[in-house]
This record gives sequence, structure tokens and C-alpha cells, in this order.
Amino acid sequence: MRELVARYLSRSISRRGFLKGLTTAGISLASAESILESLVPIAHAQGTRGIPPEAIKMVEGTGAECFAEQLIASGVKYVFGNSASEDAQFYEALVDRPQLKYILTPHEGPGAAMAAGYVKASGEPTIVMQAAVVGLVNAMGQMFNAFKEQTPLVFYSYRTDQTRRAGRDGFEEVANQEQIVQPMTKYSWLARRADMIPETVRRAFKAAWTPPHGPTYASWHSDLNDEKAYAEIIVQEKVDPRMRVRPNPAEVERAAKLLVEAKMPLLIAGDEIYTAKASAKAVKLAELLGMPVTQARQIYANFPETHPLWVGSPPAARITSLDFPKNPDVVLNVGNKLQHNSPAPVVPREAKFIDMRIDSWSMGNVMNTEVPLVADVAYGLDDLTAAVEGLITPASRKKFQERAQEVRRFSEKAKALRALVAKNPEWDRSPMLSDRVTSEVARFADKDAIIVHEAGSVVLHGFEFNPAGGRELFFYYGAHLGSGVGTAAGVKLARPNQQVICLVGDGSFVFGPTALWNMARLELPVITVVYNNHAYGGPHSRVIEKTAGGKMVQRRQFVHDYLGSPDMNMAQIAKGFGVDGEIAESPEQLKGALARARNATVEGRPYLIDAQVARVGVAWADKPWIPPIRIARERARKV
Amino acid sequence: MPVSRKSALAILLCGLLWATAAQAQRAKPQGFPDAPGKEVLVGKCFQCHAPTMWQDHRQDRRGWEGVLYRMVGRGALWTEDEIRAMADYLAAAYGRQAAASK
Repeated sequence: MRELVARYLSRSISRRGFLKGLTTAGISLASAESILESLVPIAHAQGTRGIPPEAIKMVEGTGAECFAEQLIASGVKYVFGNSASEDAQFYEALVDRPQLKYILTPHEGPGAAMAAGYVKASGEPTIVMQAAVVGLVNAMGQMFNAFKEQTPLVFYSYRTDQTRRAGRDGFEEVANQEQIVQPMTKYSWLARRADMIPETVRRAFKAAWTPPHGPTYASWHSDLNDEKAYAEIIVQEKVDPRMRVRPNPAEVERAAKLLVEAKMPLLIAGDEIYTAKASAKAVKLAELLGMPVTQARQIYANFPETHPLWVGSPPAARITSLDFPKNPDVVLNVGNKLQHNSPAPVVPREAKFIDMRIDSWSMGNVMNTEVPLVADVAYGLDDLTAAVEGLITPASRKKFQERAQEVRRFSEKAKALRALVAKNPEWDRSPMLSDRVTSEVARFADKDAIIVHEAGSVVLHGFEFNPAGGRELFFYYGAHLGSGVGTAAGVKLARPNQQVICLVGDGSFVFGPTALWNMARLELPVITVVYNNHAYGGPHSRVIEKTAGGKMVQRRQFVHDYLGSPDMNMAQIAKGFGVDGEIAESPEQLKGALARARNATVEGRPYLIDAQVARVGVAWADKPWIPPIRIARERARKV
Repeated sequence: MPVSRKSALAILLCGLLWATAAQAQRAKPQGFPDAPGKEVLVGKCFQCHAPTMWQDHRQDRRGWEGVLYRMVGRGALWTEDEIRAMADYLAAAYGRQAAASK
């Protein structure tokens, strides 16, 4: 026994090995466990000889208490979760830890969207908790969004099986639970002992928040939450690699030379500019070179749309669809993932391509890259700007100024042409054009409003987003629907002093309205505007494009797109969650509704407007066909 | 399903032929008679939309004008003259009357 104790204390055998050794020697399991418990403090003391630094403290308590302590040390203020009986000890731990605020979300999907919105708007860490695999699979849609959008969000759910009786197909048990999430997380891990919970949690936060950001997943057997542990709690900054990378200086010089010598360069702005708070640096470089700026699909507006060098976004997701410049010879991408949905690259092969991003993993996957600049884009823009300044001659400065004038002329013309949207002969119609709704909201929104946009088929215009203190955009990139309302709630939680307006399509809205209840309970005064055309407008148009001239179009029989009959009343749904709302059918009604929404939010109450939008586009009938499924005919009993 | 080298080559050639045909169709779309307004329509619209989609959509001039202004809301930059020319063309080629006569 003495030898076993020595081996255990020297960590040459595990707890299980120690217990097995004792029971093999004829000691009962209960006695062996008692001996083991008596040795735990000694083992820990040996492991942390010397005085622990200030950033480290030893905590003794349940695994769940250690979990809570590590969350506090990791800088977490809000925990988003849905009720889970095996997390009982965690809830118990919260009673004496008021600094850790638990936000109960009625569904894991919108709950995770709310957490993601909070992270994006605050830059602060948080965690989303779900009940075992059954809750996890509900949250996985938003985990997918976080993965695509590179949101540093930590997910946790326990396994319902326990350490000593796994694999019996128990209640809510699934094999290899932590592996389910692997394709859409940066890191997933199963803590094997209660005292490993804090370490696992720290690692999850470290991986999520080390660029390129992304979701991570931590899990452990449910009994570890109840088990006593003695564990190290370490503040997150002591394990954070604080990865801020400067680009390769040789590549910076090459990029600067290309840009200075370019006839017509183009800057593509991306989300890493927003997350690095580097918008002003992108403006400085663009102004230095007189370089036009665009942005392919992203979450945020990363460059001021009011700037004279802003030429708008490419309508067809490829820069060849821009009206100006038509043939850029050098393209500088700063922090844009460049989502490729077709074989044609976003940037044509002919252009020399400079790719500045921290996400080296995806660089060069589709684009042929003349100059890769792996960097934190704030540093990258600083270094590139300095290098360009070093190469400028009086002649090149004159060339840049002339180019800036050319871009400015286009920009002014484009602004006037975009305003033509209001000349639509149907502009005043009721139900409304979605463009009219957008226009009215753009006119109504505060100058520094945050627009959360999940109206997939609606292209926003008129907002003139400006990340430098103007209106901000939170769009979506992952496209698992039902994120908008939750995201808006999370954004408002993070930015209580800015107006938050959620624009959402009716299809997206019904995937995730439960966060309205959070808005009501937490008094998050968000204005939600539902573009309600009682249809899936995007799928309608895209399906027709794929089956042009087919039987569906000829017979006007679409099984997949009409959501009316009965029409859904989103204002009534909102009232069910404790949020006031109303239906607006005409532009005049919408203006009145927006005014009432402002009054409500000033008083601290959220508000929802169910804006009735026309179904427009190919082959929409006034009364769309409905598949003739008549169950009533099969009813033989009136039950 | 395993694919032999021959099959792979055939698939590749089919793909190339299809791509060439698609490009040709885009350059000279079928069912679009030569008339004023066609050039601007082909140049402006066909980078996003397949010609067949337009052929499924028959409506009067006001309807077409509305469609074109909605495309402005989606990022298309057109002058009022260009919109007028395209609406005239589409009303003639794909208006309700044109639909009835085809």
C-alpha cells in the first residue's frame, strides 16, 4: 500500500489505477475511495509547490463550482443557457457568485444567437450551455453560424452518461458526443476528471479567442459536476497567447510596390477590419492611394459607405459585376473571407491579388495569391501604409489624386442612381414593396443605430453604414436561419445606449422568435421589423431560375414557398412573448408604427412591426396554389 | 462510385462544352429579338440572371418597370433612360400581349 501511495503521489499512476491496486490487495472499494480522498489535498499541494502567483488560485468544491470559478477567471459576465437538470450544482454555485449572470433562454438556438450577438457587439467572452446532446443539437445551427462567421463563442453541454456507466444507451445518451461538433468547431474536448474542468474551460476560451476566431466546445460526464475537486483556477490572460501578428516585411514591400505601380487598384474590405477596429486605417490607406473600395458579403460594414472612395458592393458577388472599376489590375483584400458560391473566383485570375488576413488557413484555397500578408489587419494596414508612403514620388502622388477624383465622380453618380429606387411606379403600394420598408426604416433609424439584418432576400440601401461612429450593420454569413431576433437581443445587451433595429424576413423570424421573451424580460428595447410577404421569397426565385420553363412555372404549382393561408400574425406572436407590436400594411401605417416603436423603446420596451410586404417576382399568383392535402376527408370520427 | 480515366475525360469534356455553350447563350441569348433596349438588357441583367428566367415572367410595361427599379434596390446602377429602354423592350418582347400571341 505504501508503494501505491507513493506512486499515486508521484503521479505515476492514475486515481483509477490507485483504486484498482488497493482493491486487488483486498481492500474494499469504499475504503479505497476513502483513502484516495484523504490523499487528494496532499497530491494537489505537491503539484503546486511554492506560493501560487496572484493569477492562480486553488479552489475546492464541486466540479460545477470549479467550472463557475473558471468562468469568472476567464472574464465571463453573462452565461446563456437552457434548463438542464444535470447542471444543478452549477446553478447552486451561481447563488454565491452574483458576478456571473445567468440568462435563461427558452430555446437553445436563439439563445446561442443571443450569445453570439453579445460577443460580436461587446468583444467580451461568454458561454452557451445546453442540456446534454438534446440541447446541443438545437444549438448547433448557431454553432454552424459561429463557425462560418468566426465568432469566438464557447459552447458547453454535459454528457448524460456518467463516468462509470457510459455506453448503456441511457437516457439522452449518444456515443462520442464531443465528436458531433468537430467539423464546425475549432476545438472540442471532454474533461476526464472533475479537477480537469477548469483547464478544459480555459482551453476552450483560449482556442475560441485566438485568431482566427471560432466556436469551441467543452463537455464532461454529468457526474463530474457533482464530484468534489480541488483545482487550479487561472485568469485567462495568463494562458492567452495574445496573438497579434505583424506581416512579413518582405511581403509588405512587394505589396506596396504593386499598389503604387497599379493603374487601378481595388480594396475589398472584410470583417477582420471591424474586429480589429481598423476602419480608420483602411480609410487612410485608400485615401493615400486614391483607391476605390468595395466589400463582398460579410457580417459588418467595414468601410464608411459615405466615403467618396466607396463604390458599393458587387451585386453578383464577383468584382466583375461592379460598375466601377471595371478591370482593376491589383486587388487588395483586407480581412474578407471571400465566400465562393460558384466556380468563378470572386476576384478574376487576371488581377494581381494581395490577401491580407489573419486567417491563413483559408488563404490560397481558391484565389491565386500574388502577395500573402498573414497579419492582424490593424498591424498589416499600418505596415503597408508606411511602406506605400516610402515609395510615393511627386508623380505617383499626382496619379493617385487624379484617380481619387475619378472614383469620386463615379461615387457621386452612383449615389444619385441608387436613389432612383424610390421612382418605382409601385412605390406607394399596399402591401408594401420591401424596398419601401427598407427606405422608411433607413429614414427613421438613429444616426448611430445598429441594424441587425436577417431578411435574406432584402438588400439594404439608404443606411449609409459607417463603422466609425455611424450606423453599424450586423448581417449574417452562416445562413442557419433564426439568428436575427436572438442576435439583436444580444447586441442590445452589449450596447444598451444605441438604438438596435432588427430586420428579419417572416421565414427567418418563425425559426427563432423566442428571444423576444428575453427582450421583454430583460427590458431590451429592440425594434423588430418583420418583412412579411407570407412566403419564402428567396427560394421561390432561385427554384424558378433552376427549373426555368418547367412544369412548376407553367402550372403555377409551387409546394415549397407559400407560407400564407392561414397568414401568420407576427404581432400576435410577439404579444405572446410579452412584446407589443402591430401590423403595418401601407407606408403611412409603417411611419406611424415606427413612431410608436420609438416611444416604446424610449420607455425601455421592445416593439415589433409586422410589415406586410408584397410578393413580387416571377410567377407569383395573387392567391398562390396550395398542395391539395385534405385530411378532413379522412376524418371518420369527430375527435 | 469509381470513375475511370476515360469517363473522367468525358465528364471534363462535357463540362467544357457545357461551359462554352453557356457562354455562347449568354453572349447571344435565344428568344430575345433584336430591338432597341436589348443591348443594355443583356449587358446589365444577364450577369446575374439566366435568360430563361426572364422568359417565364410576362407582364405589362409598368410591371417590368417595377422589376427594374427593384433591381436598383439590389445594387443595379442604371439611368432612368436605360430603365425606360429596358422596360419598353421587355414589354414588347415579354408583355402580356406578347405572351398571348406566342
